[in-house]
Amino acid sequence: MKRKRTAGSRIGYTAAVVLFIVFCLGPILWSFIMSITPQSEMMGEVTTFFPENPTFGNYKKLLLDTEQQALLYRRGIGNSMKAALLSLLIGIPMAVLCAYPMSRLKFKGSVVMRNVLLFTMAIPVFATIIPLYKLYISLRLLNNLAGLVLVYITSFLPMTVWLLISYFDTLPQELEEAAYVDGGSKFYVMLKIILPVSYPIIFAASLIVFLQTWNQFQIPLILAPGHETKPIAVVASEFVTKSTVDYGLMNAGGIIALIPPAIIAIVFRKFLIQGIAGGSTKG
Amino acid sequence: MKKRKNTPPYIMLAPSVVLMCGLVFYPILVTFTYSLQQMKLTEPQNDKIVGFKNYQMILADSNFWYSFLNSIIILVGVVILTVVIGIAFAMLLNVNTKIKGVLTAAAIIPWALPPIVNGVMWRWIFHPSYGFLNRLLLRCELIEEPVQWLSNRFSVILIVALVVAWRNIPFCAIVLLSALQGIPSHIYESAAIDGSSTGQMFRKITLPLLMPSLGIVVTSTSINAINVFDEIVSLSGYGDVSKTLMMDAYLRTFNFLDYGAGSAITYIIMIFAGILGLLYIRNLYREVNYL
Repeated sequence: MKRKRTAGSRIGYTAAVVLFIVFCLGPILWSFIMSITPQSEMMGEVTTFFPENPTFGNYKKLLLDTEQQALLYRRGIGNSMKAALLSLLIGIPMAVLCAYPMSRLKFKGSVVMRNVLLFTMAIPVFATIIPLYKLYISLRLLNNLAGLVLVYITSFLPMTVWLLISYFDTLPQELEEAAYVDGGSKFYVMLKIILPVSYPIIFAASLIVFLQTWNQFQIPLILAPGHETKPIAVVASEFVTKSTVDYGLMNAGGIIALIPPAIIAIVFRKFLIQGIAGGSTKG
Repeated sequence: MKKRKNTPPYIMLAPSVVLMCGLVFYPILVTFTYSLQQMKLTEPQNDKIVGFKNYQMILADSNFWYSFLNSIIILVGVVILTVVIGIAFAMLLNVNTKIKGVLTAAAIIPWALPPIVNGVMWRWIFHPSYGFLNRLLLRCELIEEPVQWLSNRFSVILIVALVVAWRNIPFCAIVLLSALQGIPSHIYESAAIDGSSTGQMFRKITLPLLMPSLGIVVTSTSINAINVFDEIVSLSGYGDVSKTLMMDAYLRTFNFLDYGAGSAITYIIMIFAGILGLLYIRNLYREVNYL
């Protein structure tokens, strides 16, 4: 939109940008400041905004210490990484295999399936978790990484498939027709014709799957209570709910947990935006 | 397309369909059967089918209505904050400047972070003794005593609404931004020729053309707001003050081990979520037509 730039509109715009940045990043910055404030400066009647002697001791403690809490914290990071990679490896091929026929092939029930898929997005995970919990206990899958990842995948499969469908829908029909005339199988056509032109959306979907897995809390809280599978989100929450008094450590624990998703958001913002905007259209 | 054998689609769909049936659709039905039973882990000898007794018991329980009101306030708060701030952010991001990349990155970060950590961070904005807000207000001498933001029922749930909105605003802003960019500029140009003011253009052109996208944003934000759980845990723990329907379902099931009542509450939440889901589908299929 073109507009005349007056001094007033410029000041207004700058003020809006400042407010915007403070709102988006302020809480993160404050939490970071808390995480580098020594415990001694935190107690008492403090009304300053920045510590006199900032320290990275809390980060060192969580990342390098060999005491129980730090070990469990690092284990949580490892568990989340493993879960995220496994979700990607299984979830994305499944989503592609599911989205391709729903978008490009005609078969009985495809419209119904689309609507069921969309409707499933609205169903809370909790609606499935009580029977799953009982089932997992009886199958001895509680605290099992693969079992956990399968539930993660079902929780974001509808969204991922929808994202891919709305992209596949925009590709011209002629793309595949030539390949079919040459006698290619449907699977071959998908692999050789459709996937190569869809890599941005598949990449966006993969990023979203990574973020979603990394951010899971409610599912692992119930299905992965043991240290061997407990992800970082649950470990970080225990710093708060199990009434630790070390507030600096609590904040450092949160900040470290948000570094991987924050880096992804900054580096791959274009893909993510395409993913967010793409999934919300009919295609 | 030529007629071909229809096996490939079904083979390709099979893994997803099997997984979704096994881990989503079947458990949902089982949850319903649980909700019709008396099923307490503390007294397994008394398990029996009781029909809709769990639902009757819940609807007669003042605890349920307490959580219900909290959930509704959070829902309304999240939707209003998300839409208002989301529109403002979308318009801000629609301005072409050199710092556009920085602004988009800043905008998208809250959406990408773990909700549980968002709650932890915001806790330190509102913490009575170590929080940023109280320090600021004390410094400016606007208050004399620290305000107990996180102990009062209504201030806690409004803070929860704010934090949930914080995570949903990026989605809202990006969807609306792509809708804004889809509005052909000639519409604004002819409106300008006709002598419309900026405010008029916003009300008469921008807002109506954003309506379909707003529908999507409002429904998907509402679905998120009904299901909020993580932020509540990190802002105020598993306590009773800030209890929502989802927290109520969790506590009844996993703290009091009453699977029957927990399942029944879950189904009550699902009815709300289901209505929102249907609205979501309707909004998604609505086309935008430009002149």
